[in-house]
Amino acid sequence: MAEKFVSMRNLKFLLYEMFEAESLTRYPYFQEHSREIFDLVLDTGMRLGKELLFPCFSEMDKKPPEFVNGEVKVHPLVKVIMRECGEGGWIGAQAAYEHGGQQMPNLIMSAFRCIFSAANYSAAVYPFLTTGAAFLILSFGSKELIETYVPKMFAGEWQGTMALTEPQAGSSLTDLTTTAYPTDQGYYKIKGQKIFISAAEHDGGANVVNLLLARIQGAPAGVKGISLFVAPKLRPEGGKLVPNDLQCAGIYHKLGYRGSPITQLALGENNDCRGFLVGQPHQGLKYMFQMMNEARIDVGLGAVAIASAAYYASLQYAQERPQGRKVTSKDPTQPQVPIIEHADIKRMLLFQRAVVEGSLSLIFQCAKWVDLAHVLSGDEKDRYELLLDILTPVAKSYPSEMGILSVSAGLQCLGGYGYCEEFPLEQHWRDARIHPIHEGTTGIQGMDLLGRKVVMKDGRAFMLYLEEAGKTIQEAKGLRELAPFAQALAEALDKLKRVTGHLTGIALKGEIELFLADATLYLEMFGIVAIAWQWLAQAVVAQKALAKNPAEADANFYQGKLFTCRYFFGYELPKIEGLAARLLTGDGLTVAMKQEFFQD
Amino acid sequence: MKIVVCLKQTPDTEATIKLTADKQGIEEQNIKWVMNPYDEYAVEQALRLKEKHGGETVVVCMGPDRVTEAMRTALAMGMDKGVHLKDDAFAHSDATGTAKALAAAIKPLSPDLILCGRQAIDWDMAQVPAILAELLDMPQVTVVAKMEMGADGKSAVCNRRIEGGEEVVEVKFPAVLTCDKGLNEPRYASLPGIMKAKKKEIKPLGLAESGLSANDVGKASSKVQILEYLPLPERPPGKVFKEQETPDMVKQVVKLLREEAKII
Repeated sequence: MAEKFVSMRNLKFLLYEMFEAESLTRYPYFQEHSREIFDLVLDTGMRLGKELLFPCFSEMDKKPPEFVNGEVKVHPLVKVIMRECGEGGWIGAQAAYEHGGQQMPNLIMSAFRCIFSAANYSAAVYPFLTTGAAFLILSFGSKELIETYVPKMFAGEWQGTMALTEPQAGSSLTDLTTTAYPTDQGYYKIKGQKIFISAAEHDGGANVVNLLLARIQGAPAGVKGISLFVAPKLRPEGGKLVPNDLQCAGIYHKLGYRGSPITQLALGENNDCRGFLVGQPHQGLKYMFQMMNEARIDVGLGAVAIASAAYYASLQYAQERPQGRKVTSKDPTQPQVPIIEHADIKRMLLFQRAVVEGSLSLIFQCAKWVDLAHVLSGDEKDRYELLLDILTPVAKSYPSEMGILSVSAGLQCLGGYGYCEEFPLEQHWRDARIHPIHEGTTGIQGMDLLGRKVVMKDGRAFMLYLEEAGKTIQEAKGLRELAPFAQALAEALDKLKRVTGHLTGIALKGEIELFLADATLYLEMFGIVAIAWQWLAQAVVAQKALAKNPAEADANFYQGKLFTCRYFFGYELPKIEGLAARLLTGDGLTVAMKQEFFQD
Repeated sequence: MKIVVCLKQTPDTEATIKLTADKQGIEEQNIKWVMNPYDEYAVEQALRLKEKHGGETVVVCMGPDRVTEAMRTALAMGMDKGVHLKDDAFAHSDATGTAKALAAAIKPLSPDLILCGRQAIDWDMAQVPAILAELLDMPQVTVVAKMEMGADGKSAVCNRRIEGGEEVVEVKFPAVLTCDKGLNEPRYASLPGIMKAKKKEIKPLGLAESGLSANDVGKASSKVQILEYLPLPERPPGKVFKEQETPDMVKQVVKLLREEAKII
């Protein structure tokens, strides 16, 4: 089996050469950090990934969690991972010192999470889901809630989850019915059902802390009546942990990402499920979405990570597998060439690299903005938050959707072996399929981008994005080799503006259904342009580095970057032409199509 | 108790090694350097002993600036401080020169115990600890796979891996022990450990401060002379048997293993 699942060289290129991670240390919040610390963090992440997570990648898929007598038995690695991540301080790494964290930049921890997810996505979910849930309590919970739950979660002893979905309320959270009945004891009694909750029951930890959305009895209808609760599996009571009437009713058997159980929960069947309100009543969705935005970027990161592992597996295979001869040499007495010699194989490898490294660049860009928004204030903070607002659906969806195609190209490189379970590609392909679905489907992301983010504050976020891309274009124009790509990106952005203007024009006429009908295609077009921007930015760094005559291995790396940038502009960016044509047509075909016409 | 761990920074086992054009060394650019894997057992053992019996742990390492990365890793795992033998004069020392430099750094520390890896994975000579023990007039126990502290806290019972079994020996401190795989499970650096490591002292020690002379160390003192490095011969291509009955293919494989490869 292939040994490489992620490139440290590329991670360091992005972190240090592209996004200048060390520059974050000039802000007081990050001042204790240094390049040396970041490198040690990355090295440790790589060791944990290689030595603990990666060896169980296949086994966790082949031996998925089992539901036995109301309990979920998971792979023994889960306990080890949670302990290592807890004792190692990785779950709470980004938290402030006073909360037991080390104020590690999100940018660096994104790289750390990328390594984990590429090594074994299912295993990586347990600790970092806990991080998200603990941060929600830290951000909005009372002192008591923080003290009761966060240290145990950061220590890896208690699993954290996000419990949103219900059978009748998936994408439509407005239809949540799980109810919280007030008591005079300082807690609520929860009744309801949740489904598709990752890791809400398993034997890899001592307890589970669900961050759960529910409606307080009598709350207003719709999303404005949703509140956030902590509903643990076992609640602390009189110095002991007692069952909190929260039953796991079963687990789902999934296509991929099988190492992590997706559970169904029955809450309050015996009228004794206690929920502890986080923050103010009816503000739950707002709170949840603070975490959700970063969770969505992390979904993109998970998608990239899986595609990265698939890319390196297919690259290794392509270098080793002899098959056929160059089309110019048909002599069967000559030895066969490794398939990487064939142009079509190189195309599939370049496609993967373009998706993986382009997406990762966009995600790290967002990760750095998260850090800057955290340490800055006023207009500067607003700027980065708006940029995050508009690019979050893109950073979630482009890697998720294209990651599947990327893994599929990797699988294709292996031919029949790619389809067999002796090679990791088929598992990567199944694992990757979750990402366009969870934490808001691609359809939801499209509507979020076009219906909300592009038009918010009179298009301010969109303008800021154009400004950022404009800066890269200006830089690239100054480099002779990259000027044509700068021009191509400028034209693509013009086209995006034209399409955006056309669509918002439809919205202004009040035709909202028509406006949003092809929002997914708009998201696709937006995503391709955003990744082209990131490729141009990487090419600028690579071109400048090449000008300094680096050693051979570095020169090859930078040449690879430039070729992949050329690939993206030559093969991927032109795809926006078709999308623009469709989006500018606006004939409302899918709106006009009737359910009856599907009858046959 | 005071425990010294001798550390070496070696190329990562996965690094692709290329020889320099003059065949006098290896290309150091683009090599990932790590703590010698056997030294991790020594660091872990030192940390466990300290956790149980108290005291101080010091990591000692010789080499250019880059070796401080491996030293920081040891500090991030929990070692207390470091001594870095850093001087151009130390470069190209053979095992004796290296052991002399280490001894000069270690002697003033008066340790109860010196722990080393069983060998470095680059040169595979396993000589430095033995020469070091001799220079410091200490007993040494090699390839230790198990270690129990004596009740007096001044000795240990060690199990050594030997051909076909284990040898159990008792050793009085101060002593040099070389640690083998299986002695313990080295821990990973923790994030708080990494943060603390930044503030821990790594004391540079040059030739002058070590009390040695230029004749003691470096190329001049080296009794071993490297004439040339040679790359490993390329592996010959494998032979594939197919499209025959399995028993026939097995017979052919056995014949070749016996007659050509001469390994059975």
